[in-house]
Amino acid sequence: VSDHVSDESMPAAAETRARPRFGRRALLRGAAGAAVALPWLESLAPRRARASNQPPLRFVVMFSPNGTLNDQWMLTGGETAFVLSPILSPLEPHRADIVIVQGLDQQGGGGDGHQNGIGGMLTGTSLNAGPFAGVGAPPAGWASGPSVDQRIAQAIAGATKLRSLELGVQVGAADNWGRMSYRAANQPLPPLDDPASVYDTVFTDLHTDPTVLARRRSRQQSILDTVGAEYTRLSGRLGATDRQRLDAHLAAVRELETRLTTDLVVTNAACKDPQVAPVDKDANDSFPAVGALQTDLLVMALACDITRVASLQWSRSVSQTRFTWAGISEGHHDLSHKSDDDAPSVAKLQTINTWYAQQLASLMTKLAAVPDGNGTTLLDNTLILWCNELARGNTHSRHDAPYVLAGGAGGALRTGRYLSYEGQGLPHNNLLVSLLNAMGLPDTTFGKSDWCTGPLTGLL
Amino acid sequence: VSAAARARLLSDVRRKRVSSLATARSGFPLAVALLVVGACSGGGGAKPGGVGGDLCAASAPGQPPPGTAPLRRLTRFEYGRALADLVGADPSVSAGLPPDEETLGFDDIADAYSVSALHAQSYLDVAEKVAADFVSRADQRAAVAGCDPLAGDAACAARFVTVFGLRAWRRPLDADEQAAMAALYQATDTPGTGDGLSAVVAAMLQSPQFLYRPEPGTPGAMTAQPLDGYALATRLSFLVLGRQPDAALLDDAASGRLDDESGLMAAADRLLADPRAAEVFAHFATEWWELEPLSTLDKDRSLYRLWTDGTPGAMAAETQAFLTDAWQGTPTLRTLLSAPATFVDADLAAFYGLPAPPGTGFQRVALDPARAAGLLTQGAFLATHAHADQTSPVLRGKFVRARLFCTPPPPPPPTLVVRPPTVDPRKSTRERFAEHTADPFCAGCHTQMDPIGFAFEHYDATGRWRDVDGSQPVDATGALTGTDVDGPLDGVVDLAGRLAGSPEVAACAATQWFRYALGRSEALPAESCALSALSAALTAPGGDFRQLVRATVRLPAFRTRAPEVQP
Repeated sequence: VSDHVSDESMPAAAETRARPRFGRRALLRGAAGAAVALPWLESLAPRRARASNQPPLRFVVMFSPNGTLNDQWMLTGGETAFVLSPILSPLEPHRADIVIVQGLDQQGGGGDGHQNGIGGMLTGTSLNAGPFAGVGAPPAGWASGPSVDQRIAQAIAGATKLRSLELGVQVGAADNWGRMSYRAANQPLPPLDDPASVYDTVFTDLHTDPTVLARRRSRQQSILDTVGAEYTRLSGRLGATDRQRLDAHLAAVRELETRLTTDLVVTNAACKDPQVAPVDKDANDSFPAVGALQTDLLVMALACDITRVASLQWSRSVSQTRFTWAGISEGHHDLSHKSDDDAPSVAKLQTINTWYAQQLASLMTKLAAVPDGNGTTLLDNTLILWCNELARGNTHSRHDAPYVLAGGAGGALRTGRYLSYEGQGLPHNNLLVSLLNAMGLPDTTFGKSDWCTGPLTGLL
Repeated sequence: VSAAARARLLSDVRRKRVSSLATARSGFPLAVALLVVGACSGGGGAKPGGVGGDLCAASAPGQPPPGTAPLRRLTRFEYGRALADLVGADPSVSAGLPPDEETLGFDDIADAYSVSALHAQSYLDVAEKVAADFVSRADQRAAVAGCDPLAGDAACAARFVTVFGLRAWRRPLDADEQAAMAALYQATDTPGTGDGLSAVVAAMLQSPQFLYRPEPGTPGAMTAQPLDGYALATRLSFLVLGRQPDAALLDDAASGRLDDESGLMAAADRLLADPRAAEVFAHFATEWWELEPLSTLDKDRSLYRLWTDGTPGAMAAETQAFLTDAWQGTPTLRTLLSAPATFVDADLAAFYGLPAPPGTGFQRVALDPARAAGLLTQGAFLATHAHADQTSPVLRGKFVRARLFCTPPPPPPPTLVVRPPTVDPRKSTRERFAEHTADPFCAGCHTQMDPIGFAFEHYDATGRWRDVDGSQPVDATGALTGTDVDGPLDGVVDLAGRLAGSPEVAACAATQWFRYALGRSEALPAESCALSALSAALTAPGGDFRQLVRATVRLPAFRTRAPEVQP
């Protein structure tokens, strides 16, 4: 019997299993929520419909910056008898649950390599012209299409509270070097990088008295209704450019209204109101601590079914995080431009990239510890993509971009493998299509159409 | 178009072509090297400033229309202050919003805005919180309309909506808007709770009429249009104070007093006399001087043992006090660049190795004029323009070029494999950077930056004075080239004197202000005259940043609404 109950006939079961203090309110999916979800779900019907008693699919992106090291990343051995490289060695305990994808060319355009690397990484599009002046390139703006996580969210979010959850760790300034997830063209999604604020906004329903919550929701619906009408009214009086901005704001207000009419349905006993220890979120040396908190919050948001699509953005492209806890005092980006024959710098970069691999391993361990019904774990029903805006830091190359897929994707992903597509010149858009397919979407292309030749063969 | 403007345009085109070629050829370092050297050895590239003379006379026919007027959104800086004025909130509530997009170094460039559900959620959360706090305080809610709107008098509640709406939206509400607020009040209120009132306040604070600065105008108009009094009042108040127009300014708007230049300037002068105008000046200068990273700055504490968790905050306070004092006293470019004084408390004095100031808190102290030069020798600038474990003549020199001369050197080729100096305590900074000039690949650009940066070498990566670098005496000699104040340099005071006397630096300062003040980049050559007028406000006898603000108010781009550019 599935732990995930969305059937209105079983409120009692949901009630007894819910652990949160005010779990009584977190019961039934509202009629309005279901009504909202249906129209688009029909048109985007997953290719392999999941039985109603199966746990939902989840999708997670983990980003780490500044490229990696070719020699220390490359695997040896065959598809299943692979030997993990030094950088990937922390994934050894999880080798049965990963797929290393090698040999794709990560696409991107507009702006400089870091800019269009992070902007194209998940969108498979180039950046529009815009105000952010990069290095040795005309100024660029935001990406010109939605990111793969948002396409997936559109299909699998169902009636969850949050369509998706963007988390980050010291993501820095609001510009196109620091945004990877896009709701649509020109609509970057800023990652929340303050664990305390994530706790307050994402987990409200778990720690608020249900009567207070109900009153607040009804009131906020009235307020947003009034506010939304003003956006509509003003929009009609503006010129085209300004109108686009205001319409995007209106869409954001409407998304909040949807959240307000959606009940949190907690069916997993592992869902608990999380604890968030105080931390200086911006201090360089808190980077690991903030990241650990964000990882815990991400896992709990999935366990509580607050969202089914999440991302964790470690720093940003051109990250200057100083890995002082690993004995490294230089900024990451400075190091990433050092020569391949500069042995001390290469050793430091290996340490940094290995540390990020450890963070993926930690995320996987935490997901694997959460039962998800039918004898599965959260990790079994999740697809994780670990990606980077570059392949190499010192050349800005995106040839042979480093991708790791992890988790079972509900059985869609055949894991425990190392796949090399080297020499085929395939664009990474093909991987993005395959991710959609793994999540049950029937899409055959994603992003810029001339950067995509269809899904990768042999992956699923 | 004048010869100067034409030369500038050509130079721009040349620079762009070079950089796009460099990108296209990035796989071929030799080609890149030649192009980059070519780009840098050709001089400083585009110069700031504008044309002058008759071309810019206000009555000159064919005066180009002002540039675009994008819809402005309140920055976090402005939003916090607006909530403080409207509902008595702590301005730091704005920290609950996503950060403002930053480009050109500023937080208010409209082209860069984006909006997401996170933005909308944050606006909702903050508005709900401050509205509830506000309504819970009887004195505050009664002060708005002169009666307590919760006392059960419907007329009082309606008057509250009228008065509060005017202040929040910076213009009177029309009948539809008034009715929408009344309906919201009805839908959300339980008598005696204040729920309806706080819902109205929260809704007004999430309205585009509050969060943005819409200005009435005809979409698609082909010519510049005059602004009504309320739109002018709003522009003026945010320009000078970074805040909502106050009641007196709204009265001016209603009575038409802002419609002629003398009335507008009288209002500007009243706002300029408000001590809070210093906050805008300090905010602008902090962004212009790239001091924002200070808030999260750290240094290698094994090398810099005096650096503590409290040092960055103290340096920020020092610079804030210095800028406030400059604004209230002599807000000239020369003060910013060369004043031999600063503000320290006992801890920061100890950090710098200065005698403790009298009294508590931050006090003005005179510094050795042979060592000190305004912002250029303050920790806030020196520490943000350095690495964690060493100084950076490159970052400091690049700052001077990019932010003070507005001639940023071309960036390094993106695929550069850097072999920069590792810290060898036996070597001086200068020895470690020698490769930059020895290697022609690097020299083309680095000779524009490093020799300026070397002038700062008496200040270490934390902003402390030093006489010894590595095992050798500091050598702070350098050179300025490709500017209007070229020549050899010896130390930062020498550099500061040159910068303070440079018309190019004044023109650049005016350009930076223009971008911040109008929330966009300048349109050249159409706005050369505007830039000239601003530059003159800094360099004319008696010129300073106050005069710069006044000159901004006089610009056609400020006083009229530009025709819309179709995307």
